[in-house]
Amino acid sequence: MISNRLSRWTLSFFGCALLNFIAAQALVIAGVSWPAQSWAAPGTLVAVHLLTIGWLLLLMLGALFQFVPVMTSKMLPSQNAALAALVGVEVGLLGMICGFVALGQGLPGLAHCLPVGGGLVIVGVLIATADVAVPLLQARPLPLPGRMVLTALAFLVAAITLGLLMTFALTIPLLAPYFAPLVGGVGYHILAGLGGWFTIGAIGVSYKLLPMFMLAPEERGPVGHGVHYLMAAGFAIALAAGLTNLWYGSVALQALEFAGYALVVAGIVLYLFDVVRLYRTRKRAAIELHNKAAIGAFAMFAIATLLGVAFIASGTLAEFLPVLIFVLLFGWLSGLGVTQLYKIVPFLTWIGRFGQSLGRGPVPRVQDLVAERRGAPWFVVYFAGVAFAAPALFGRGPDLFRAGMVITAAATLMLTREYWRAWRGYYTARQSATAPAPTRFINKEIPR
Amino acid sequence: MSSIEPLTLDVREELRNGGEPLPRIMAAVRELKDRQPLRLLATFEPLPLYAVLGHKGYSHSAKHLGEGDWEVLFSPGAEHGVTASPVNSPSPGDDREEWPAPGTFIDNRGLGPPEPLMRILDTLEHLGPGDVMQAINERDPVFLYPELEARGASIRVDKRDDGVYLLIRRSAA
Repeated sequence: MISNRLSRWTLSFFGCALLNFIAAQALVIAGVSWPAQSWAAPGTLVAVHLLTIGWLLLLMLGALFQFVPVMTSKMLPSQNAALAALVGVEVGLLGMICGFVALGQGLPGLAHCLPVGGGLVIVGVLIATADVAVPLLQARPLPLPGRMVLTALAFLVAAITLGLLMTFALTIPLLAPYFAPLVGGVGYHILAGLGGWFTIGAIGVSYKLLPMFMLAPEERGPVGHGVHYLMAAGFAIALAAGLTNLWYGSVALQALEFAGYALVVAGIVLYLFDVVRLYRTRKRAAIELHNKAAIGAFAMFAIATLLGVAFIASGTLAEFLPVLIFVLLFGWLSGLGVTQLYKIVPFLTWIGRFGQSLGRGPVPRVQDLVAERRGAPWFVVYFAGVAFAAPALFGRGPDLFRAGMVITAAATLMLTREYWRAWRGYYTARQSATAPAPTRFINKEIPR
Repeated sequence: MSSIEPLTLDVREELRNGGEPLPRIMAAVRELKDRQPLRLLATFEPLPLYAVLGHKGYSHSAKHLGEGDWEVLFSPGAEHGVTASPVNSPSPGDDREEWPAPGTFIDNRGLGPPEPLMRILDTLEHLGPGDVMQAINERDPVFLYPELEARGASIRVDKRDDGVYLLIRRSAA
């Protein structure tokens, strides 16, 4: 049964992720988070972790539970592990939120919420990592998307380890002296998470998803492997050099860190070039809405890369880092997320609902579960909101920025409604099912 | 080999437009002079035709011209009956028995998921017990295998340059 190939909890991951995404945007709009408040304000820490753990991490894990078996033709060791991971991450995140608020309010009694919640998140992530890593490690040969996901998972473990050590430094006085330099290294926690994990992971998944629905060549050749190696080596070098530099400051380590960034930039340029090639060599003439809209996310990725290079060249990276992080988080990663959900949700819904009745009467097509004309404007609005909010961060205009976030949040809500409708069969109910497929060369001349 | 110049029939355009070329092919066969071969140009290797023309006493030799174009020469007189399928890489656990030549063909190239799956399962439902169909897909149909298993059907897969060639046999029961 196809339904056996379905990850049972993936749609639950997506539902929780979207709720967390909307909550994070609401906090920014309400002014309890950065940029209205400082970076270290509890509201900011809550919004940032809702966005990274609550939204992007759950989105990515939910997608991997579905796509790793498809990439490897191997089953996950356990479907229940996915549920355990979901509960661990979501409950742990609530604990962390509790802890951040306690830190801000000076409630020492609740301060342990942060390490306990963080611990739960880590347990959830490790369960998920083990569940998807097993089929990835067993598959021979492992195609490029799977290899990139494995690399990304290694950076995920690095990112949460750094986050955990930072928590120790902040909350456990006994350990604080050993990890004190790490408190100044939040940037490397972000680099491992946003860069090594999310970006390499998203690129890996895109290398599966884009060719699958556009019918472009899945084999990316040396270019695809080049993207993988450049980015993996670049992030690893930058992280190792940067972290070592926190303890033993040296000019050589700084230079090495920037050499790492140069490799990453080369990898991104190669990837974006490959994405253009992928769109151009597709076999399906018409591009479906989710991949049309994804062009917005790729454009944001290109803009973020240009900004990053410009900031480093002009020595203003520390000053403008928030702009870069915002464009990467909302434009590139979340942008790719909301566009691909527009296909993944109806696809999984369709397989779950109609897989068993295939060939036993008419069923709707996957495209019948969505109304692209209703969804399309909201992708434009989404990216317009990001494009409006980002420049406001240069001028430090928190109100203009929040106005942009209102636009993006409105689009997120409306797109969530479209995913909901696809899942509920809202549009299918309004259309008749298609006729059986045409066949050719039907041979009626041979007696059976 | 026949010394008579073969009659050439090109059905590629028709196949690409989703047409049904069998009537034209059969008409061409009826027009063939005594001992004249038929040279057919198609967009895939037309296994079902081997069965049809094999019954009429034609043997075949197929050549891949590249870019997904195929040239098949049907020569009269050489052999009778159904020829073995060239798509013959049985999946694990296959009993390697000889299957009847496919009577139905669908070309799923150029279709996005899950349409190839829908068309194959739809077509399978219209086959008689033990009958075989041929399909060509863009991709290895990972979601198809468990569905065929649930329906008691068997599959043979041959990954080629111009697509994934599938032979699917409905259960005999």
